[in-house]
Amino acid sequence: MSDVYERLVALLAEGFGLEAGEIEPELTFSELEMDSLALVELGLTAQQEFGVTLADEDIQSGDTIAQAAKTIEAKTAGLG
Amino acid sequence: MTSDRRPSDRRPSHAAVTGIGMVTAAGIGAEAAWRTVRAGGATAAGPVPALAGTPADFGCAVTDFARAGLVERRKAWRLDRSSQFALAAAKEALDDSGLDPATWDGARVGVVLGSGIGGAATWEKQHRVLLDQGAQKVSSLLIPMLAVNMAAGYVAMECGARGPNLVTATACASGATAVGVARDLLRSGACDVVITGGTEACLVPSIISGFSQMGALSTRRGEPHAASRPFDRDRDGFVPAEGAAVLVLEREADARARGARVHALVSGYGASADAHNATAPDPEGAGAELALRAALADAGIGPGDVDHVNAHGTSTPLNDLAEAKLISRALGDRPAVTSVKGVLGHALGAAGAIEAAVTSMTLEHGFVPPTANLDSQDARIEIDVVSKVGRDTRPEVAISNSFGFGGQNAVLVLTRA
Repeated sequence: MSDVYERLVALLAEGFGLEAGEIEPELTFSELEMDSLALVELGLTAQQEFGVTLADEDIQSGDTIAQAAKTIEAKTAGLG
Repeated sequence: MTSDRRPSDRRPSHAAVTGIGMVTAAGIGAEAAWRTVRAGGATAAGPVPALAGTPADFGCAVTDFARAGLVERRKAWRLDRSSQFALAAAKEALDDSGLDPATWDGARVGVVLGSGIGGAATWEKQHRVLLDQGAQKVSSLLIPMLAVNMAAGYVAMECGARGPNLVTATACASGATAVGVARDLLRSGACDVVITGGTEACLVPSIISGFSQMGALSTRRGEPHAASRPFDRDRDGFVPAEGAAVLVLEREADARARGARVHALVSGYGASADAHNATAPDPEGAGAELALRAALADAGIGPGDVDHVNAHGTSTPLNDLAEAKLISRALGDRPAVTSVKGVLGHALGAAGAIEAAVTSMTLEHGFVPPTANLDSQDARIEIDVVSKVGRDTRPEVAISNSFGFGGQNAVLVLTRA
């Protein structure tokens, strides 16, 4: 898995009450009990971690963790 | 207006306390808290790291809460500490009651909690984010973590209680008001079970500095264990505390029918306002007396029948004197009076609920705990305050007083089951 994915998992474990071991790439946010407000919080945290702005539609509760990592990667690539 | 219409015209209504849960500085869990309270040794206070650098930097904090793991991590991160306390106490109380949320009719289960301040720690933290980083960094969870009603909402989500759901806010009487209102919901038939109590977690610099600037707090920084000393000559203010207590209430007949263990009965409730001053009590306790007399009338109990008073007893010079005058005038010198704030400090909106829980256990165990740190009773206080050692006197009828800023008073009558 990519560096961004690993950092995303670390964020989820640190700030969102998840255990790193229970996070799988193909799990969706809703399967991890993360609702829309939780995703707004994740957006704020990710902005700090990755230096990219995530809009409401960028990560949704039906997305998998791997998809979210790809979205963030694409955004960071765009910065370059 | 007529003065001869009295609530005692109604049949007395007993709500059975079938479950108790507590989170306090003196112990997490009702049994642990009771053990410390019944010993009555010292104030469960110490320096509070979050208050470091302020003049009032000590209090009764719940130090091992996170480590106790009572709230799942997945939920805890998005709940203010005050809601976490409420969830932990509610879970303990429900387990104790033997009721099963998987099988009950949730529409008949209400939740009424008291809270004075709400999610103060969250508000303070996010206000700092606003000032330092700007509005767009403020947490989207600020409102559900801050709003004073949310603790009751979260308890309902946790156990599927879909009946009436509210938080009472009568400052330091909030927890007692909640228990009184909960009993009314059983009496009216609106609910069959009410999960009630109170929660508070505001040991944060802005709030405690506010109390400190009022001159309400003890300044005994060098001796926090001796700082809360209700009714003592040398009392100098209250010691702020955090915590929660939850009681499960059912109509007595329902509780008996299902063979539940009944800790005690909530048999009367009275409420009133001083209509006097924002923060000072009526010096003669006239407003509080209205609540006390209303509670006795509601219970159909005479003043001469009261064996025990669990006093508001904050350890402030004004409260303890006014309350003692009231007790003396209304109940005489018969009741054994105690203030558990000597041990627990003053948990503000949770205090009335914590004290209702302790009073229930006092009746259940037949043991009146002593008032901690009462070394020399104030000579102007002419009531029988239990000090040093508790009394094995098996009280039958107890009063629990709670008086809030704003002049808001709530008095409960509890009786032995």
